[in-house]
Amino acid sequence: MTSSETVPTPPAIPSAPALEAANPQGAFARFQASRYRRMLLLLSAVMVAVSLLGFLVNGRDPQIGAPLRAGLDFRGGTSIQLELACHDPGPCAASERLQLPAVRSVLADLQWSPAEDRQPAPAPSSFSLQLLDNGEGLLLRSTALTVAQAQAIEEQLATAESIAPLQRERTQVDTIGPSLGAQLLQSALLALTAAFAGVAVYIAIRFSPINAVLALGALVHDVVIVAGLFAWLGQLLDVEVGSLFAVALLTLAGYSVNDTVVVFDRIRETDRLQPHLGIIARIDRSIAASLVRSLNTSITTELPILALALFSGGELRWFAVALAFGIGVGTYSSLFVAPLLLGLLKKDTAPSRS
Amino acid sequence: MVRQGWLPVILAMVLAAAVLLGNQSLQLGLDLRGGHQLSARVFVADPEAVITADDLDGVKNVIQRRIDGLGLAQTQIHTVGSDRVVVQLPTTRPPQEEDAETQAAVDNTLQRVANQITEKAVLQFGVLRPGEVDRYATLLQERRDARLAVLRGQEQLEQLQRSRSGSEELSASREALEAAQTTFDQLEQDIGRLFDLRPLTGDDLVQVVAEPNLESQGEYYQLSLTFSAAGAQAFADLTKEVAADANLRLAILLDGRSISEATVGPEFRENGITGGGARITGTFTLEQAHELEVQLRGGSLPYDTEIVEQRSVGATLGSDNVRRSLTAALTGLALVSGLMVTIYRLPGLVAVATLAVYALLNLAIYALVPVVLTLPGIAGLILSFGMAVDANVLIFERIREELGSGRKLYQAVEAGFNRAFNSIFDGSVTTLISCLALGYLGSGLVRGFAITLGIGVGLSLFTSLVCSRTLLKTSLFLYPALRKIQYFRPVQ
Repeated sequence: MTSSETVPTPPAIPSAPALEAANPQGAFARFQASRYRRMLLLLSAVMVAVSLLGFLVNGRDPQIGAPLRAGLDFRGGTSIQLELACHDPGPCAASERLQLPAVRSVLADLQWSPAEDRQPAPAPSSFSLQLLDNGEGLLLRSTALTVAQAQAIEEQLATAESIAPLQRERTQVDTIGPSLGAQLLQSALLALTAAFAGVAVYIAIRFSPINAVLALGALVHDVVIVAGLFAWLGQLLDVEVGSLFAVALLTLAGYSVNDTVVVFDRIRETDRLQPHLGIIARIDRSIAASLVRSLNTSITTELPILALALFSGGELRWFAVALAFGIGVGTYSSLFVAPLLLGLLKKDTAPSRS
Repeated sequence: MVRQGWLPVILAMVLAAAVLLGNQSLQLGLDLRGGHQLSARVFVADPEAVITADDLDGVKNVIQRRIDGLGLAQTQIHTVGSDRVVVQLPTTRPPQEEDAETQAAVDNTLQRVANQITEKAVLQFGVLRPGEVDRYATLLQERRDARLAVLRGQEQLEQLQRSRSGSEELSASREALEAAQTTFDQLEQDIGRLFDLRPLTGDDLVQVVAEPNLESQGEYYQLSLTFSAAGAQAFADLTKEVAADANLRLAILLDGRSISEATVGPEFRENGITGGGARITGTFTLEQAHELEVQLRGGSLPYDTEIVEQRSVGATLGSDNVRRSLTAALTGLALVSGLMVTIYRLPGLVAVATLAVYALLNLAIYALVPVVLTLPGIAGLILSFGMAVDANVLIFERIREELGSGRKLYQAVEAGFNRAFNSIFDGSVTTLISCLALGYLGSGLVRGFAITLGIGVGLSLFTSLVCSRTLLKTSLFLYPALRKIQYFRPVQ
């Protein structure tokens, strides 16, 4: 802590001018974020470091070979999700549940109809199988299959006598061609970059280039940390990231910048209305004034998202997890990371006038 | 002081939205309604060639005609981007019906649609080059052998499967069958290359009918072709040429593969076969003949296509998704409403009313545009609720601050709205910029999300800045009993 961070007491103002700054109210009115600056920034640094470590671990993992475990959308391939008829209302009898060896042997008998296909079919032994819901469902993955091939697999499993009847109304088949996968990833990255650039330009115009750099910094911070969480989830729980994850990151980018802009807006207003305070004090006041709003906003935004996480399943649930975690991180970075760094950077250009 | 001018406008909008929603149902995407979606990429091998938007539309129209030819209702076809044609089929089976026959028919439909999308069906006519007569005879024999090999392979595989043989044996037999099939395909193409093309193609057809081939006692089917006037002339010339030499053959080629070769009797040496009709015989099953009929009627595809994406969602799974996301949305909404009223009291109550208006207008816009609702779209809607609430939170926090610094109620409300404006505006614009980037550059799922979020954020600017304000001030103006500070903030 340096001496410049001590906050001078504001002089009493005799009569309230028309646009006097309203002082922060409530429990956090006297909160001085700058006092905890070292701790808050260190926390961020640690989270970013853990995320980067996650990318590194995944990158060296021969099974993943990328910072994140890419899902079907980005890698290309086919996934077939099936459910037993007894699952709804369930639960299935123990004898009805699927067993991997039984499924494998049914698939080994698979007959492709080569006449229909131009594309050679992969060997059934190359399929990756995963039981869902205690063996009441099955997820099959493979390299990209043609329509006929995917149907042959579904048909084979549905007609096998050694497997309990399937609820075919609940089958889901997704095929993404390999070229499309790469294209989807490319378009997601392009959209992300374009969104960043557009937002940066807007903030540079409305505020200043320093603000734009910091808002982007906060945003990259949030995106890296959320991606880091999913890097570890991919490593530990085999969670994959697809288009929906890209959507979550983009939403988060929007939310994070929105939140940062609100705090910056408050700092700008305090700068105008209470110029007699030092820059650090002005930022502290702005943070304190924004704190309740930011917390309330995060909570109200988190509620529907948590509901989504609770009531949805599969990929959509991880989407909600990414958003929920990201909004937490985003709120943190807009309240503390960006404004505190602004205090450090602005001090050099405009020394406090206290 | 109260800008009541907005109140009738808001009421009128709510009424209009309610009427609109009563008359027009929302469009649900594939993931919510169940169905199949096939995306095909249209491409040309020649790197110089460019597929224009008109060309892509042409491909779409051919596919549309062909699928209409299959007699499928409610199929939607549209182009996406510069090289994509997307076909959506609803699940046609009624939820109760579970019999295997219906199921098989439906599965077959998808396969038939996929074939209609990828088969170019370029029909050409050619005459055997005189120098290739011997080579043709050799290939013909080879093709006969190859056809037998394929049939034997199929029989063998079926037998092995019936006898439940080991998987090694099975896969060996499968590979053999695939090899035989590839050889056969190759031979059909090789034979096709022995023929010189003549100026007569599938474009010259005016009628194509699949019918039983009487000579085969109805075992096989044939296609009867009727040519246009120009086509009939070209066909007459062609047959005259072939009739001149008993060694010559007339071939009908489909996508470069010879599907039928025929001699033309000496009686046609004078004038060729006139009358403008021809038939393609062969070993077509009813299904194959019908498929080819649809393809030829719909016209040939001018470019190569490949299916790059298939998404199929069972009907029950779809309605399940609707139920789940609705539950999530409503639960989230109820929780948020409770929280807003607890924290912000009277303004919180106003915010809940505003959010109800917001939800209604949002859905009305979806029906009006129309927006096809998908799962990511619903996620975008839920998130935009969060942002709409945020605008209200910003305003109410400001009102509290103003009250805390000793302003009168009316002034505090006015100042709260005015001061929150900058934050709300900047925040919304930055989110809208993200939405624009996503909407323009993102793919299907991403775009659905960007559209609902974008509509939501734009709308929340209106509802929070205009609706909340009008409702709050009107209620204060009409009911003086509400003008108490404790309705706005805790009193120390």
